[in-house]
Amino acid sequence: MTTNAQEQELKDRLSLIEAMIAEGRQTTESWGWTFVLWGVAYYVAIAWAYWGNPAIAWPVTMVTAGLITALIAMRRSEGHPGTSLGRSMWAVWISLGISLFLFGICSGFSGHADQNVVVAVIATMLGMANATSSLTLRWKPQFACAVVWWAAAVVSLFGTVTQSTIGFLVAIFLCQIVFGSYMMISEAREKKGSERNSGAAHA
Amino acid sequence: MLPMPEPVAESATDLPELNPVIHGKLRLALLSLLSTVEEAEFTWLRAKTNSTDGNLGAQLLKLEEAGYVAVEKKFVLRKPQTLYRMTQAGRQALTDYVQALKQLLGAAINV
Repeated sequence: MTTNAQEQELKDRLSLIEAMIAEGRQTTESWGWTFVLWGVAYYVAIAWAYWGNPAIAWPVTMVTAGLITALIAMRRSEGHPGTSLGRSMWAVWISLGISLFLFGICSGFSGHADQNVVVAVIATMLGMANATSSLTLRWKPQFACAVVWWAAAVVSLFGTVTQSTIGFLVAIFLCQIVFGSYMMISEAREKKGSERNSGAAHA
Repeated sequence: MLPMPEPVAESATDLPELNPVIHGKLRLALLSLLSTVEEAEFTWLRAKTNSTDGNLGAQLLKLEEAGYVAVEKKFVLRKPQTLYRMTQAGRQALTDYVQALKQLLGAAINV
């Protein structure tokens, strides 16, 4: 039989395991800024292509945004350990980035770019990436983003060029700027909460 | 050298013994943390456990000697980096420890 003190010690050990597992899992979520950054990059590229040089607007903006993302992500992840979940999320979004870049460059230079089809393909791919993230992380708000992107794709295929453009601009605003800001606020709240709850584990 | 076993379980034959290597508070915290990540830097483990360099190094060495943790030392941008990851044996030992802990607590509650 164990005494009360020993029983309490065993309970403390169990609580310590739970606390440390929760602490370890709190290391990957800080990606709201990338949504906002890419939302702004899309707007810059659209405006530049409309009022400036359409041939270089998208490639230059996308490469610049990609470099900024890589630099900030590298600095932020310094010292933070990788998780399987983090790696799978990284795989989804890096694959999307490469696919979008190849599609954008090739459709632009091949001369086969029809605006409605290009917007529909980009929106469908963004919808797929958001849905994959949402289902993997079991995070419902992100699935709403996927639905908005898919809706923008449908509007682009069945609508006029103007309707396609409006659908794309609205989807960027909702799924990149609004959702990214919401993510950043949630992450800041979570960080504050974890700082309050974090405990020591001295030997 | 392995630490001295801490007297936790009674000598009752039907109750499991707790693994003394894992039972130390800091070592248990380290294994729990490492179970959630693929690999972790020394500095991250230190920040998460609020421990000192000396104590953390000593406890990690004990886990390494027991085969529960693997260490990799490398240079990233000319800075030394020490990475720790949990081995399969470590994962199994932690699972067994949690099972034993639950069994002991169950026995205590049923007294």
